[in-house]
Amino acid sequence: MDGTANALTGRGLALSFGGIEVLKGLDVEFRAGEITGLIGPNGAGKTSLFNCLTGAYRPQKGAITYLGHALDGLSPAARAGKGIVRSFQHVALSPDLSVLENVMIGVARNYHAGWLHAFLPTRRGTDEMAAMRAAAEGALSELGLAGLEHKLPSELPPGMLRLVEIARAIVGQPAVLLLDEPAAGLNNSETRDLMRTLRKLATSDLVMVVVEHDMDLVMSICDRIYVLNFGAIVACGSPQEVRANQEVVRIYLGDDDD
Amino acid sequence: MSDGLGNILLDLFPLMWSGMITGCLYALGALGLVMIFKSSQVVNFSHGNVAGFAAFLIYGFSSGVLLNLSWGVAVLLAMIAVVAIAFLIYAVISPLVFESELTATISTLGFGLIAQGATLLIFGADIVNLDLPIPRFSMSFLGLFITGYDLTVLAVAVVTIGTLFFVVDYTKLGIAFRAISENPFAAEVCGLNLRSIHLFSWIVAAILGVVGALLIVPTTFLSVTTVAAFMLQAFAAAVIGGFASLPGSLVGGILIGILMNLFTFYVSAEFTSTFLLVLILLALNVFPNGILARAGGSRV
Amino acid sequence: MSKSSASIETMPGSASGNHARGWLAASGADYLLAAVLFALPFLIGGSWTFALGICFANSIGVLAVSVLVRYGGEVSIGHSFFAAVGAYAVAILDTRYGLSLVASLPLALVLGTVCGVAFAWPSRKLSGIYLAVSTMALALAVPELINNADWLTGGYEGLYVSQSVIPGVEASLQRYYAGLLALIAVVYGLRRLRHSRQGLTLLLAKQHPAAADAFGTRQVWARIAVMGISGGIGGVCGAILAFAGSTVSPSSFTFWTSIFLLVGSVVSFYGLSLTRALVGGAFLTLVPQFLSASGAWIPVLYGLALLGMILIGHYLPRIRSFLFASKGGA
Ligand SMILES: Nc1ncnc2c1ncn2[C@@H]1O[C@H](COP(=O)(O)OP(=O)(O)OP(=O)(O)O)[C@@H](O)[C@H]1O
Ligand SMILES: [Mg+2]
Repeated sequence: MDGTANALTGRGLALSFGGIEVLKGLDVEFRAGEITGLIGPNGAGKTSLFNCLTGAYRPQKGAITYLGHALDGLSPAARAGKGIVRSFQHVALSPDLSVLENVMIGVARNYHAGWLHAFLPTRRGTDEMAAMRAAAEGALSELGLAGLEHKLPSELPPGMLRLVEIARAIVGQPAVLLLDEPAAGLNNSETRDLMRTLRKLATSDLVMVVVEHDMDLVMSICDRIYVLNFGAIVACGSPQEVRANQEVVRIYLGDDDD
Repeated sequence: MSDGLGNILLDLFPLMWSGMITGCLYALGALGLVMIFKSSQVVNFSHGNVAGFAAFLIYGFSSGVLLNLSWGVAVLLAMIAVVAIAFLIYAVISPLVFESELTATISTLGFGLIAQGATLLIFGADIVNLDLPIPRFSMSFLGLFITGYDLTVLAVAVVTIGTLFFVVDYTKLGIAFRAISENPFAAEVCGLNLRSIHLFSWIVAAILGVVGALLIVPTTFLSVTTVAAFMLQAFAAAVIGGFASLPGSLVGGILIGILMNLFTFYVSAEFTSTFLLVLILLALNVFPNGILARAGGSRV
Repeated sequence: MSKSSASIETMPGSASGNHARGWLAASGADYLLAAVLFALPFLIGGSWTFALGICFANSIGVLAVSVLVRYGGEVSIGHSFFAAVGAYAVAILDTRYGLSLVASLPLALVLGTVCGVAFAWPSRKLSGIYLAVSTMALALAVPELINNADWLTGGYEGLYVSQSVIPGVEASLQRYYAGLLALIAVVYGLRRLRHSRQGLTLLLAKQHPAAADAFGTRQVWARIAVMGISGGIGGVCGAILAFAGSTVSPSSFTFWTSIFLLVGSVVSFYGLSLTRALVGGAFLTLVPQFLSASGAWIPVLYGLALLGMILIGHYLPRIRSFLFASKGGA
C-alpha cells in the first residue's frame, strides 16, 4: 500500500560510494500535513537521504515519487521547480549577498523575467524584485529576523545564519520542506521560537521532514519519526512508540559514548 | 591504389617519427608543469618564459654577450640561475598557495611577464643563434631519416624522464612527493614538510624546462617568444595527460607531437593553434582526468 | 576533477565584512568621476582625449574579466578573443557596409555574448585552472584565425574604422564620448545585474553551487550565463577599442592582450564600479604611454603590478588588523 497519494516516498533507496553502503535499500514515506522527524546517529545517512530526495545524489537503486509522479530522472533544479526545497546542514549562504537577498533567492524560482529586465530598469523587473523582497521580508519576520535584512552573513552569529537558511527554504511556499538540523547552533529560546514557527507552517498540504539531533524538538513537534542507523530504517512510528523502542534506546545510549 | 597507400605510409612514418621526437620535448615541458601542479595545485604559467630566459642565459654566457664560457659551464650557470629563480618564485607565492591555488596561479603570470621583460631588457628582441654541441650525422633506417639531433633528443629525454620516474617512484623524496599529491593534509599530519616538497617540484620543473628549451632551440632559432610558444604545446600535452599524471603527460606530449605534425602536413599549417584549442577542449571534456585515467566516479 | 578551491578574491576588506559592499559600492566617487570625465575634453588637450578613449575601452575589457571573477569565480586569460570579435564586427561593418558604431556596437555586444555562450558550452564542466587553460588556448587561436580570414579581416594589415557616429562632430570628441558612454552603460548594467534576480542566483551559484541547484539554478546555466555576460562586455570592449583607436589589427588581440586585461582586473581588485574599472583601464593604457621609449619595461612593470596587487590583497587584512590592534581600537 502506498498510503496517502499526497506524499513524498522513497522505495528501496540504495546509495553507495565506492563500495561503502550509505543507504541500504530503505523505504520512507513522508506525508503531507505531518511533520516527520528523521533521526539517527552521526553518519547514519540522514543528509544523504535528503540529497537523494532533492536530486543532489543519484541513488543506485530505488524510486522516488512525489504525489505519485516519479522524480528519479529530474535534476535538483527541476525538483525545486516542483516545490521541493531544503535547508543545508552546513549553512550555504552567499557571503556577497545581504541576508534579505539571500532569502530572496528562495522565491526566485517563482519568477521569470528575462535578461533584459536584469540589466535595464524595466517595470516588470522592478515589480518582480519588489515582490521578491516583500516575500523575503515576510519570511524573515516570521523567523524573528526582522531588522537584520541588510546585514551580511559574515556579521551574524551561526545560529542566526541557520534561521536565515530556513527562511530561504520556507519563503517560496514550498510543497516539500526538508530541514537538515535546523536547530543546530540555536539557544533554547531560539529553538522554542523555531518549534512554534515550524508547527505553524505545517499546513495540510505541506510535506515537512526535519533531521535533528535535538530530541526535545523532534519529540515535541513531530507527528512521526523515522530512526536511521547505518543506512537502514530501524524504527518508525509516533514519538511515543519510538521513545519506547528498545533498539532505538540502545543505538542512542551507544551513541552517547562518543 | 596500393601505390597511393604506400605513399601515405612513406609520409606517415617519418611524420610520426619526427612528431615523437618533438613530442618528447613537449613531454619534458609538460612534466614540469605537472610536477608543480601535483604537489601544489598551481599551474605555472611562467614556465615557458623562465625556460626561455634560461636558454638566453646560456646563449649569453657562451657567446660573449655576457660572458665567454665553455658550453658546459654556461649550461651549469644557467641551471643554477633557474633554480634560484624557481626558489624565488616559490618563496613569493607560497603564502598564496595555501590560501587559493587560483590566486597563486595568476601570480605565476606575473613572474612570466617579468621573465619576458627581463629577457627583452638584457638580450633585446632580436633572434639569436644558439648552437648545441650535437653530433652531426644522419642515417637512413627502415625508410626513416634519423639525425644526430633526433638521437640526442631521444637519449636526453629517456635519461631525464627515466631519472625523474625513478626518483618519484623509489626515493624518499619521491615517495613524499606522491604522498603529498595524493592527500596534502594527511601527508602533512604524517610529518612531511609541504613546503620542501613543493620546492622540490618547482626546482625539478625548472630544470626539466631548461632541458626542453635547450633541445627545442636547434629546430628553430632563439627569440623571446620561441620557448614560450613551445611551452604552449607542453600545456596541451599536460592537459591531455590529465594534468595530474606524470606518465599521462609523457603520453600526452608524444601524442601532441605526432598529432600536430600530422595536422600540419595533411590539413593545414595555418591553424595549428586552433587545432590545439580544439584538442584541449576535447581532451578536457572527453577525458577530464586524462587519457590514462581509470574510469571511476567522482565525489559529489 | 576540479577540486573546489578557495575564493580567488583575496583582496582588501575581505576580512572586514565590508567586502561584499565594497566591490560594488556606487560611491559618490563614481558620480564625481563621471561628471569630471564628461567635462574633461573641454579642459585638456586633444592628445589626451585619444589616450582616454583607449583607456575607456580597456576599462570595459577589465570589467569583462572582473565580472567573470565576481559572478563566476573563474579566471580568464582568453578575453582577447571576445574583444577581437567585437572589434572586427565594428571594423567590418564600417569598411564593408559603411555602417557606424550605432549599428555595429549592438552587433558586437550580441556576437560577444554568443561567442561567450558558445565557448562556455563545451567548457561548462571545467573550472579553476582547467578553465583558465582552455581560455588560454582560446586566446592563442585568435591571431591566426584573424590572419587566415584575411578576405574578411584584412589579415596582418588590419582595417580602418572611419565612419562617424554623428557626422560633423569632431572625430576625437566622438571617440572619447563613445567610449565614456559605453563604459558608463556597462557599469550601470552591472549595477542593475547585482540587484536582479539573475544576479542574486549567480552569486549564490558561485559560492554554493549545490545550494543554488537546490533552489532552481542549474550550474551549467550559471556558467553559461556568466560567460555570456562576460563575453558580451568583451565584445563591447573590442568595439570601443576599434572605434576609439580607429584601427584594428591582429597584433592588438594576442595572448598578451588577454593577460594584460587580467592584470588590469587584478589591479582594480576585480572591482565593478566606475572608479575601479578606470583604475584598471588607466593602468593598462598609461603604463605603455609612459614607457613607450623602452617597451621592454612594460611586461616587467605589469608583472610587478600584478604580483604587488595580489600580495597587497593577501597581506592587507593582516596589516590592517595589525594597525588597528596597535592603535588599540575596537
Ligand atoms: N559524497 C560522498 N562521498 C563519499 N561518502 C559520502 C558522501 N556523502 C556522504 N558520505 C558518507 O555517507 C555516510 C552518511 O553521511 P551523511 O552525511 O548522510 O550522515 P548524517 O546522517 O547526515 O550524519 P550527521 O548527523 O553527522 O550529519 C557517511 O559515512 C559519509 O562519510
Ligand atoms: Mg547530516
